[in-house]
Amino acid sequence: MNNKRSILIIGASGGLANILCGILAKRMPDARIIGIDSRKMKNEVDFDNYTFHRMRYTRRNFEKLFRENRFESIYQIGRITPPGGSAEERLSFSLVNTSKVLELAEKYLIKKFIMLSTYHVYGAQPDNPVFINEDYPLKVSIKHPELRDVTEIDALCTNWMWKNRENIETVVLRPCNIIGPQIDNTISRYLTSNMTPVPIDFNPMMQFIHEYDMANILFQALDKIPTGVYNVAPSETISLQEAKKITGTRDIPFPVFTLEVLSKAIRKIWPFPSYFIDFVMYSCIIDNTKIHQYIPEDIYQYNCRKTLSLIRKG
Amino acid sequence: MISLDFLAKKFNSFEQVLESKFSSYKDLLTSEEKSTLESTYQSLLKIYGETEDPWGLSVPKAKKSFEILYTIYRHYFKVRLFGKENIKNEQYMVISNHSGQIAIDGLMIGCAFAFENEPPRVLRLMVERFFTALPFINKWSSECGAVLGDRDNCLNLLKRGESLLIFPEGVRGVSKSTTNYYKVQEFTPGFFRMALKSGVKILPVAVVGAEEIFPYVYQASAVAKILKLPALPISANYFPLPSPIDIHVGKPIELPEDIDADSEDSLINPHIREIERVIQSMLTEGRKTRRPWAFSKKMNEDNGDE
Repeated sequence: MNNKRSILIIGASGGLANILCGILAKRMPDARIIGIDSRKMKNEVDFDNYTFHRMRYTRRNFEKLFRENRFESIYQIGRITPPGGSAEERLSFSLVNTSKVLELAEKYLIKKFIMLSTYHVYGAQPDNPVFINEDYPLKVSIKHPELRDVTEIDALCTNWMWKNRENIETVVLRPCNIIGPQIDNTISRYLTSNMTPVPIDFNPMMQFIHEYDMANILFQALDKIPTGVYNVAPSETISLQEAKKITGTRDIPFPVFTLEVLSKAIRKIWPFPSYFIDFVMYSCIIDNTKIHQYIPEDIYQYNCRKTLSLIRKG
Repeated sequence: MISLDFLAKKFNSFEQVLESKFSSYKDLLTSEEKSTLESTYQSLLKIYGETEDPWGLSVPKAKKSFEILYTIYRHYFKVRLFGKENIKNEQYMVISNHSGQIAIDGLMIGCAFAFENEPPRVLRLMVERFFTALPFINKWSSECGAVLGDRDNCLNLLKRGESLLIFPEGVRGVSKSTTNYYKVQEFTPGFFRMALKSGVKILPVAVVGAEEIFPYVYQASAVAKILKLPALPISANYFPLPSPIDIHVGKPIELPEDIDADSEDSLINPHIREIERVIQSMLTEGRKTRRPWAFSKKMNEDNGDE
């Protein structure tokens, strides 16, 4: 075992994690970067200091990895996002896995733990203030129990963060909508699909961050962001209808308040998560002031319109 | 099978029909009014930009609504603005009496500050929580500058230099019975604490004439509770009657320096009562010069000079 800085990325096969692995491996040539995932690696990260292991986080060889590498920092990026898996599966997977990771992180005395949460934890509600800060209650699971996994992991990591704040720096990031060519999440599919309805009766304001900018912020979090919970979003906002115009899809005008009923009725053939309907009705604009105390606002290389135009189809 | 293109075309043609209906309103405007409208629009575009702000205000999208509202302002409610000289080019928290069961008074005050003021400004109207959940209304009102009346929202807007329009009477203001017309109801203290926190001056406004737009018949509180509405006043009509409206702008109220946003109610309340008194006296004075109209004539006789 040598004294090289050793960093573990959990969920390394995802689009965002993949970019992060590349950034870390390139910018920290002296560090050992290890990515793990239970899925296959989508795109190879072509650096000598990067290694990928396909494994489940609950198996015995997961701990072996900790024992042999003595990780200094961990990125927890892997989780199943709706509509993938049932609510029970997601909750069990996320909670069991995250608790296991936290247990090992504490046992093997890591220095930094960075957890990727999401702004979905706040929920899109008609009474949301504009610029929700990190202290706002995590209200999404009140109306949408299927998102309990998202809020539970966030809360689990936050509690763990305060418990271990003397020894381990923990950063919980709650980014706005991450989009980009590598990302395949609900909002990307919604923005690039011709078959999704565009509300005529609501037009919420939204924030978008490019996948590369988000990966870059994850990288910066390693050394520049201290313990705490942080919203991540550029200051720029754009309405949903404008965003759809930029992505250039054909609109199906629809009174969105009828969608909830429709989505329940044809759930089997239409994988439109019901919680997402709230996000196309009401704004959920997060406040980025806290994170920009540590990293400059000009970190974003892509503005909102550019980010959206990059996922434009055709 | 109905194609997507067919649906899109149908929707566009529906929008065009609506547009042509609305544009006929413009025929009522004189050429001078049309040029005021255009120059105001251009100024607003310069001030607020062409894109939406985080609360959804979009001057280009609101253009059509501005045209309709201005036409209504000039030719339906025939609004007169008094005390225009009290509005300086600075940030205000505009505090007004609330009346009329449906917040037409808010729209008219907004028009006065946008169209009769130099430089024009979009007052950010604070709306009730139930309002933001209403389809179409939410979209339209956000584009025109209305925001949820939430403390964080207000403070964030004030921090960005925006002027707010607040009705501290709240629902009590719009659901007044006939005997309470033009009697200012007790103000909630939130606005004053926000003013103290942000240091933004209070500009008192009194609206005379809006009470008679929807004559009050009955307050259906039980139904309002079932429908989860803050109030449900039953009116004699649901088409707004053309009661002439007068808007009186008072002198800006300086904030006291010996108290702050976290001071006790006993220190805050006298200042709030004083603002109520100022607006009440503006209303009483304003009623003396109001234009005669069927309902108001009767009301004036009934209530005397309070």
